[in-house]
Amino acid sequence: MQGPIPAQRLHPELKQLIVEASLALARLDAERLEELALSCQALNRDLEMAGVAGRAGLARQAHDAQQDLAVFGRVLEATRANLEVMHRIRALRAGRTPAYGGFEARLGTTHGDH
Amino acid sequence: MATINSAFNIISQALEADQSGLSIVANNVANATTPGYTEERPNWVENSPVEINGVAYGAGVTQTGPTSIRDRVLEERLDQQKQLAAASNSRLTALNTMQALFTPDSGNAGAAAGDIGGDITSFFDSFSALEANPTDNALRQQVLSSATTLSGDISNAAAGLNAQQAALDQEAAGTTSQINALTASIAQLNQEIQSNSPHADAGVLEDQRQQDLSQLSQIIGINQVTTENNGLSVTTTSGQLLVSEESSFPLTDSLVGGVTHFFVGATDVTSQLEAGGGQLGGYLTARDQDIPSALGSLDQLAYSISTSVNTQNNAGTDLAGDNGNAGDIFLQPAQVPGSAIAMSVVMTDPNHIAAAGLGQGTGDNSNTTAMANLGNQAIVNGQTPSDYYSNFVSTLGATVSNVRTENTAQNASVTQLQTQNDSLSAVNLNEEASSMTQLERSFQAASQVFTMINSMMASVLNLGEQATVA
Repeated sequence: MQGPIPAQRLHPELKQLIVEASLALARLDAERLEELALSCQALNRDLEMAGVAGRAGLARQAHDAQQDLAVFGRVLEATRANLEVMHRIRALRAGRTPAYGGFEARLGTTHGDH
Repeated sequence: MATINSAFNIISQALEADQSGLSIVANNVANATTPGYTEERPNWVENSPVEINGVAYGAGVTQTGPTSIRDRVLEERLDQQKQLAAASNSRLTALNTMQALFTPDSGNAGAAAGDIGGDITSFFDSFSALEANPTDNALRQQVLSSATTLSGDISNAAAGLNAQQAALDQEAAGTTSQINALTASIAQLNQEIQSNSPHADAGVLEDQRQQDLSQLSQIIGINQVTTENNGLSVTTTSGQLLVSEESSFPLTDSLVGGVTHFFVGATDVTSQLEAGGGQLGGYLTARDQDIPSALGSLDQLAYSISTSVNTQNNAGTDLAGDNGNAGDIFLQPAQVPGSAIAMSVVMTDPNHIAAAGLGQGTGDNSNTTAMANLGNQAIVNGQTPSDYYSNFVSTLGATVSNVRTENTAQNASVTQLQTQNDSLSAVNLNEEASSMTQLERSFQAASQVFTMINSMMASVLNLGEQATVA
């Protein structure tokens, strides 16, 4: 039977993890974000096994990381808005409604026998 | 030998088209690092079929010129996000300067405020010390010395804020010429684009116009309206016309009450520009909202302390035996506005500190006790002086934190959009689709991370509900 997980193993990662997630999302590093999602799952599992001291330590870390989570939430919200814009742009192009200039020509280029 | 000629024609047209296409590619490579340059692609037009000995042969192609790879919708979205990021950037810079002013250990030369919180405590504590020996000259001198430190730090803080406000005013005024140069350039480019490429992408001219729009977006909040024949109108976010096709309408500035105001024609648009975005929006928000708010708080603090302490001193008896007219310790302000910068100690003789109660004899300390108690009474807008100042600093810190959060998110959004915009110049459509997939994957993975962390934090913090994200 595994004993309680030491607080040090759980805690130092939370704030850093959130900050890193914000940065990864800003630069659209999907691979890193997927790794961080796995880390979160592991952290959640650890939390379930953590003793009182571990949970209390994580609570302190969580308190310190609240502002960083707010930043992450705003970046996520901005990403959602950007994603919507990109979907609309794609729909515009698919409907051959010219967003502007040459993109339509690029999609519809015929090279003939060349 | 029409048939041979026809065959040669197909071949030579293909070679010319190839050559022309290669020139466009070479141009793309040569301009790879040119700011604002948008990659061009050759346009191929299929030729009419050619009949040789009764058989129709493939058409061949002609290269009809380059088309730039751009998307106006995306560029406009990018410009909008740049406006927001630029506004929060300039406001955040101003707020950081303000915060340094009230941070005693900031090491910033501008931290002229010293430690006002500590000064307040020391000042009222000096009365507590005097209670023990109300006739002691050194203790009386200490009261005046503490009062001088407190008033000096509050006055210096107000002076620092005024200086920062004046600097922001100058920064804001300096944007007028930049804005006008850019709108004039856009109007000129409109004219050239409309006459040269009314129905097609204008290539380099469009690049220049887009670069001007991008620069303009950094400075001021704008809306772009595409008009016929590839024309463009530009307005402020509140609708004042800056560019209409080939005409530009300059922004002017002039001093109103000692402060720079901005006009389009005869209309004062200062308050609209403040909310509009861009660097100018950030400067004006800091100049007209953040700094006046901080100055107002300091004024209230200075007015309340000066008035309460003076009133109490004139309610006691000093060492000279003056009953009820010992005089003021601080310069008595006539009104709240301006109290902070004018705050100073006017009492020079410590014997005029009215330590004794009225008619109690000069050895009494009851009025000193009353003055010391002012430090624990709600004399500043319903709060003690220390609590009022502490709340002021906390509010300023919260504002800085909120604007920093906004700024981080906005800059991230700009980075993402720039990535998407760059992907339009990708080698092929698969790469462009891959970029979109990357955006979707990133969003989904980030959503998972956020949900898990939010849930975990709510659990460990035992909030009972999940943390909300503003």
